[in-house]
Amino acid sequence: MSSTAMKKKVLLMGKSGSGKTSMRSIIFANYIARDTRRLGATIDVEHSHVRFLGNLVLNLWDCGGQDTFMENYFTSQRDNIFRNVEVLIYIFDVESRELEKDMHYYQSCLEAILQNSPDAKVFCLVHKMDLVQEDQRDLIFKEREEDLKRLSRPLACTCFRTSIWDETLYKAWSSIVYQLIPNVQQLETNLRNFAQIIEADEVLLFERATFLVISHYQCKEQRDAHRFEKISNIIKQFKLSCSKLAASFQSMEVRNSNFAAFIDVFTSNTYVMVIMSDPSIPSAATLINIRNARKHFEKLERVDGPKHSLHMRMR
Amino acid sequence: MKSKNITLFFLTSFRPFHVEPNNIIDDGPQEKISAEAAVLNSRLHYYSRLMGSSDRLLSPPDHVIPQPDDIYIYSPLGTAFKVPGSDHPAKNPSIITIFAVWNTMMGTSILSMPWGIKQAGFTLGVFIVIFIGLLMLYCCYTVLKSPKSISHIDTSDWEFPDVCQYYFGKVGQWSSLMFSMVSLIGAMVVYWVLMSNFLFNTGQFIYNHAHNISEADSEFETNGSEKVICPNLDPGRNETISTLYLSDYRNTSDVSSFEQYWSKTDTVPFYLIILLLPLLCFRSASFFARFTFLGTISVVYLIVLVTVKAAHLGFHLEFHWFDKTQFYVPEFRSLFPQLTGVLTLAFFIHNCIITLMKNNKNQENNVRDLSVAYLLVGLTYLYVGVLIFAAFPSPPLFKDCIQPNFLDNFPSSDIMVFVARTFLLFQMITVYPLLGYLVRVQIMGHIFGNHYPSFFHILALNIVIIGAGVLMARFYPNIGSIIRFSGAICGLALVFVFPALIHMISLRQQGKLSVVSAIFHSFLIILGVANLVAQFFM
Repeated sequence: MSSTAMKKKVLLMGKSGSGKTSMRSIIFANYIARDTRRLGATIDVEHSHVRFLGNLVLNLWDCGGQDTFMENYFTSQRDNIFRNVEVLIYIFDVESRELEKDMHYYQSCLEAILQNSPDAKVFCLVHKMDLVQEDQRDLIFKEREEDLKRLSRPLACTCFRTSIWDETLYKAWSSIVYQLIPNVQQLETNLRNFAQIIEADEVLLFERATFLVISHYQCKEQRDAHRFEKISNIIKQFKLSCSKLAASFQSMEVRNSNFAAFIDVFTSNTYVMVIMSDPSIPSAATLINIRNARKHFEKLERVDGPKHSLHMRMR
Repeated sequence: MKSKNITLFFLTSFRPFHVEPNNIIDDGPQEKISAEAAVLNSRLHYYSRLMGSSDRLLSPPDHVIPQPDDIYIYSPLGTAFKVPGSDHPAKNPSIITIFAVWNTMMGTSILSMPWGIKQAGFTLGVFIVIFIGLLMLYCCYTVLKSPKSISHIDTSDWEFPDVCQYYFGKVGQWSSLMFSMVSLIGAMVVYWVLMSNFLFNTGQFIYNHAHNISEADSEFETNGSEKVICPNLDPGRNETISTLYLSDYRNTSDVSSFEQYWSKTDTVPFYLIILLLPLLCFRSASFFARFTFLGTISVVYLIVLVTVKAAHLGFHLEFHWFDKTQFYVPEFRSLFPQLTGVLTLAFFIHNCIITLMKNNKNQENNVRDLSVAYLLVGLTYLYVGVLIFAAFPSPPLFKDCIQPNFLDNFPSSDIMVFVARTFLLFQMITVYPLLGYLVRVQIMGHIFGNHYPSFFHILALNIVIIGAGVLMARFYPNIGSIIRFSGAICGLALVFVFPALIHMISLRQQGKLSVVSAIFHSFLIILGVANLVAQFFM
């Protein structure tokens, strides 16, 4: 497969109103302008042009809109849409009253995937779970998961339950990203070694576009279980502010008497965050360490087979 | 080696609002924010950056916002305070609650108090006012208590119709709504009659002043500076005030043409339509809610007026116990149900007492505050009723002349009364759209589920309401009767039957219903029915 082949896609599909635009906006920190909140079904696919995991392009599709026009367009463009798909993320609205219809559209998407991109990974998100009462959530999700797994055969689908109002969305997407990184176990081992060498309290590896945590190492228990999501939110807000000045965020150092934190570009797909609790270690030392590690991790990524086409980008 | 990275430090002014837990300050021992609240806060900040400020796509729905205990106020200096009791709306001290209840209960029935006492006889009338006041107070207390006995549902924003729906299903909901409407629409009809009356008298006064006419109503008036008249107003017949116009240069045709165009029952009620129909069609009534203070001022002014009149006229009381004399009425009369009917509307607040008491700061004082409010209301009614009745100059006039609207007993040339009428007219014009809004919200909300389905729905409803008012003002402008009938009807359901039934049912569910209690509450229901039935025989 040549490296200039068509870009691999991440398809984000689901019924109109299931929450795709909000989800994409939150995960990828895209500003939602008022007019793009369309009042009807999306007639055209929304290309995000987001470099996700290096080279993947995010496509957003409305599935099962009211229009028969929509359906015709969908069927005629089917091959086009479903070719070269790396990941299919399908969103179900847990409150939907038309379960049969939803499953029907889902199955037709799966058929198309089987025909055009049989190697694609399929993820199903049961979304808007905050609208279900807390004590019923597990039950309802288990039901849906069973149905979906059954319907998806022979493809294997991974199901998550999500809501934009709790930590499940961030965790689900982190898991998705984790599964998409080809050599993630190796990355983790090396990350641990790196952290122990530089005597860091914690080292995190973020995906570049979304600041989803791919992997992390901590040498002792941390108090805040939600710190990954919070850091991700803070940095995404900062990126939004930077983009207003037509600047792009590259790195950051935060320091006080108790700790020093370094956020920097790492490999072509990732950012690293290093937390040092010994303030006596000078910044320059840590920064040198990070720079040296960078070369090592880039080599790791390059090692992987061409089929994952994670291109290296020249600095 | 110099790093090429740009080193950035967080500037205080751009710090996102996350505060280290050990910076949370509280009155008590050190407390920390719950983790959920902290991360939700982080999410809210981030999501708000993703949209325009007026966009509500990513606004947190109600069920997501944490409990009031988890809400903190952050100061820019990095400390956080827990706001005590920040979830409650403004809590009012007792005095405000008592005043609110008094203000809401004080209605147009104050104008009918002297007439009511006259209909029942003076002694019996006073007793009935006290007795009915206590009875309605007890029923009100039952209403107030009724949501508390429902254990497994959150009844914090329920009103009495919701309680009725809980106990009696759809029947309860619709009937309590309907009877509530009777009281509201009855009040609106009374308002229309009174507004026509006041507008007529105001116009008459201005006309007389402008044309220097001094009006004297034949032999049925007192001599002296304080004129009291006995208009021969008979319900069902057109007004037949015999007037004597003393005027130097007045064309009789001119005068009669004014009378033609400005008649209390024939034309003025229709002139009001032009003013009030547009006001009723407003979508929101918040503008008119600002004028509720006018009601208080007009009641206070009426009290002052009554005091002044009584001081000038002196007392004219003679106690004839059972026999009818020419000038006086017996102390005990068989027409007393008319007074009970009026009082049922005068003391009626049962459809909104729960809401009024909800904001009382010390809930345990609710019963005490309610009782004080009823006491004050009763005293106000008694004061006005007794003073006017006692001061009514009986030797020249008959006590029987006291009108259902006691202001009608004063000529339109009386300055103090003119001020009262103008004031009341203005106050009623501002309260009328508010009442119309309440009717509209309840009816439209229950039938169509939407408070403003379309302009034509609202217009149709308003035409019906105004039509009722105009018809009454034209053909039967006896506000005493309108008040007693609407009072007895809505009192039957919302004061006597439903509260007593609900009280008995809830006691029985708890197994605490005693025979005495059952007999007493059944007796209340019988009283309510008797009250209504008696109105038709008077």
